Amino acid sequence: MIYLFQLMNGIGLGMLYFLLAVGLSIVFGLLHFVNFAHGAFYLLGAYLTYDLIERGVDFWAALAIAPLMVGLLAAVTETLLLRRIYHLPHTFHILVTVGLALMVQELVILAWGPVGGNVAPPEALSGAVVLGEFVYPQYRLFVIGLTAVLALALWWLLEGTRLGALVRAGSESTEMVALLGVDIVRVNTAVFALGAGLAGLAGALAAPIRGVEPFMGVEALGIAFVVVVIGGMGSYVGALAAGLLVGVVQSLMTTLWPEGARLMIYLGMALVILTLPRGLFGRA
Amino acid sequence: MLDRRQFLKLSTLAAGSLLLPAGLRHAIAADEAITVGVPLPMSGPFAANGKFGAMGAAMAVDEAGSVLGRKLAYLEIDTEGKPASAVRKVQEAMQQHGVRLFSGGILSSEALAMGKEVTKAGGVFITTAGADELTGAECNRGTFRWSVPTFGAIEQTVRPLIERLPNAKRWYTITPQYVFGDGLLNAAKNVFKEKGIEHVGNSYHSLTEKEFSGYLTNAIGAKPDVLLLLNFGAQSSDALRQAVSFGLKKRMTILVAWASGLEQFEALGPDIMDGVYFGAQYWHGIDAPFNRELVARVQARHRMNPNYAFASNYLTTRILIDALAKAGSHDGAAVAKAMEGMKYAGLTGDEEIRAADHQVIKNYYLLKGKPKSAMKDKDDYVDIVSSGRSFLSPEQAQCRMA
Amino acid sequence: MNRSWVHFGLAALVAALLPLLMTSATLATEVLVFAMAAAALNLLLGYTGLLSFGQGIFFGLGSYALGLTLLHTQLPLPVALGLAVALGALVAALVGWLSIRRQGVYFVMLTLAFAQLFYFLAYTFAGVTGGDNGLLNIPRAALGPLVLTEPWTFYGFVAALFLLAFAGLQRVASSTFGRTLLAIRDNEERARAIGFPVRIFKIAAFTISGGVTGLAGALHALLIGVAPLSNIEYHTSENLLIMTIIGGTGNLFASVLGAGFFVLVSDALSAIWPRWLLLLGALLITLALFMQQGLWGLIERAVATARGRRSVTTAAGSGTDTVEGRS
Repeated sequence: MIYLFQLMNGIGLGMLYFLLAVGLSIVFGLLHFVNFAHGAFYLLGAYLTYDLIERGVDFWAALAIAPLMVGLLAAVTETLLLRRIYHLPHTFHILVTVGLALMVQELVILAWGPVGGNVAPPEALSGAVVLGEFVYPQYRLFVIGLTAVLALALWWLLEGTRLGALVRAGSESTEMVALLGVDIVRVNTAVFALGAGLAGLAGALAAPIRGVEPFMGVEALGIAFVVVVIGGMGSYVGALAAGLLVGVVQSLMTTLWPEGARLMIYLGMALVILTLPRGLFGRA
Repeated sequence: MLDRRQFLKLSTLAAGSLLLPAGLRHAIAADEAITVGVPLPMSGPFAANGKFGAMGAAMAVDEAGSVLGRKLAYLEIDTEGKPASAVRKVQEAMQQHGVRLFSGGILSSEALAMGKEVTKAGGVFITTAGADELTGAECNRGTFRWSVPTFGAIEQTVRPLIERLPNAKRWYTITPQYVFGDGLLNAAKNVFKEKGIEHVGNSYHSLTEKEFSGYLTNAIGAKPDVLLLLNFGAQSSDALRQAVSFGLKKRMTILVAWASGLEQFEALGPDIMDGVYFGAQYWHGIDAPFNRELVARVQARHRMNPNYAFASNYLTTRILIDALAKAGSHDGAAVAKAMEGMKYAGLTGDEEIRAADHQVIKNYYLLKGKPKSAMKDKDDYVDIVSSGRSFLSPEQAQCRMA
Repeated sequence: MNRSWVHFGLAALVAALLPLLMTSATLATEVLVFAMAAAALNLLLGYTGLLSFGQGIFFGLGSYALGLTLLHTQLPLPVALGLAVALGALVAALVGWLSIRRQGVYFVMLTLAFAQLFYFLAYTFAGVTGGDNGLLNIPRAALGPLVLTEPWTFYGFVAALFLLAFAGLQRVASSTFGRTLLAIRDNEERARAIGFPVRIFKIAAFTISGGVTGLAGALHALLIGVAPLSNIEYHTSENLLIMTIIGGTGNLFASVLGAGFFVLVSDALSAIWPRWLLLLGALLITLALFMQQGLWGLIERAVATARGRRSVTTAAGSGTDTVEGRS
């Protein structure tokens, strides 16, 4: 019975991981850009939500505004900075984004202090659902539902729209897209902002669960990398499947062998790269 | 007039040379002074504790002004929360500035390592860190510790809570997997055995864990009457926050055995804390003369109530200064000697430094979170339920002073 | 060949100048310890084109190997250091053997996964490693007539080993083996087509790099008297990478510059402002945008400019071309 609960719980975790990682995956697929600053967008999303609510903004409004602000900020960063380094080797991508992540983290401490804070879930979702012996917070159920809807919307965006077609084409060949007469530069910016905005949304949704603290971005980045690698870089389905997989494994391990949870996750990551270099769902 | 050495130092400083070691500017100002080193995590994940700790230590030095007819100076050292940086910078403070007296260290690992290093050089180190080994298996001549070890923290929280809740027979524990967590867990198990409590389960988690829903699900499955959280800092906040969201407060009593006090309560907020029990080393509402004075002075000076990091580092620095005066010398061995057996009016009432293992004998507190409506001011998060002192003997704590 | 002697000379100069310029022996020692590890990383990054996030593994294992040997056996210090080198090299060979099966970002991610794996292993097996507390009480006994507890004597000891390791790395880099590594980095397909055993060469580079990094980790533990868990953390790998890139990957001496710069600047800044990481972040971005050859490139440019001014007839930058062509 406990395993069934852990399975459900793991799905809840996994959906959040998916949201966190999918942006990183898309950005890599399109731009072949290794973004160590992805966790910083998650961090910003959480803190902006916290700040807005502290200022008396309604939770639902904050949930909408914070990710948009993160997306906008990401678009500006991409335009002013990242665009200039795409052509450089990965070493420099890592250097710049590690630097960016450090700066965001320290700016967050300067702006909101090192202590961190609490974000209350909205009144309507503050209770818990009871299913026999099992209890599950309403807010976490809401997160699962919302991310499921978002996952569908995103799938439609990537599979059914012109932007999605461009993203997929772009990840195959930038020249081809350019030949189509599309301004690839603007597509890049839009996709980068979308990825960052999704990370920001993950942060905003996580804030009532985890609270906010200045180092939450580092942890999130680690998980995002694991999910992206296992799922396959650039793969939307992979991010979803791997997010759920990692969430469920993590949750089940807390019952089976808690000390080894992280060990298993990173061992899994290494094994996947070694045996399935493109991840579970990556394009060969 | 400047001698050549000083002139060289100043001119290189003016040139902004990065080859200069850290803290030289303090040394120049403090040539004639007795310097107290304050190694705290000013950056990194424990920066919040470091910031208030440094404020407390600075206030103690500032208030005292001078001792033994010499000016007191204060050298802040950023340990970055890493034992490697901590030790290296403490070595430097000792070699470059001749500092022998240190008050600081928040993380177990950094405090243990610094204590060894300071002792090697014949200095004195007093800390508020949690590791039992500080005054246990790794105790030594130069290391002193103010905070109550895990044994006392459990005795003064689990035991009184069992008495308050005679019907709560089933307890579940969530424990971080390292020496500190195991110290708390073993102490709790002993109390359980003695009191006939059924320990219905334990979940270990790693020091990097932030997601507790899995462990909480295990806890729910075990149907305990009391959930005992044995982690500390951000991890206990995360665990508690998530426990409350799972509705556990309605199903069981929650006890956080090792809370950090006001700084943690500010991050949690009254909605989460209401009805939850906390164990704490310090609370600004403690009714002790010295504490009341300190609270008044901190309010006057900083317009805030002293939190745990502030108050404890204020006090440990103050202990060093008092010991300096008592010893009549700033020699490390003399100061350590003066501290052994020293009795003083402390934050928790009369406190005493036990000579055999350098452990400060003081109270530990059981607090209970109150609803927002009952709070008299913005910091009035808890009521003190009970307090008392429980300590293993130095032999039981396995301290063999070298 | 000539050039490599110049670089060794510069490294020796740095080792000799630090005691004159600096008042803190421990800080100077730390500079050389990290310079050694950064130079070892450069053999992978600069010469072989392998961006490894796994160097912290070898550094941390070196610390543990030394600590365990000195704490639990009667073996003398040189043996403990030798064991640290051996363990670093052995694990590096293993990690390298597995990691080089993948390329580019996948290689990076694989080394990252291994770094986390070893961290959690060290954390979980606290009985051996001391877990979060680390291995305490690592002794720094006298070595023959050398009183290593005396800070500047210990510095001299570390400096000697640093120069030995640097000379070794330099020799490897300028040998046929090193030139082959460069060929592999520049065009792996062609190197393979010519008939070089590319995989063996890469594993060998990993092994050498891991051994030297293990030595650096051991000396670090000896310096601070503890083998802390943080030495095997991902952040150690990250910091070593940052040092190496700041210096520049064109030659091994550049890594000495990078490590020195990183250690001294972060030490100075952290004493002034707790939020110094903000400035470090800004520096990393600036570096990637404007100084891609690192500090070494900056110096070369300055030298070239100075030369150009002195004699207008000499085409400026003829020296820089070779370095820039390599990155």
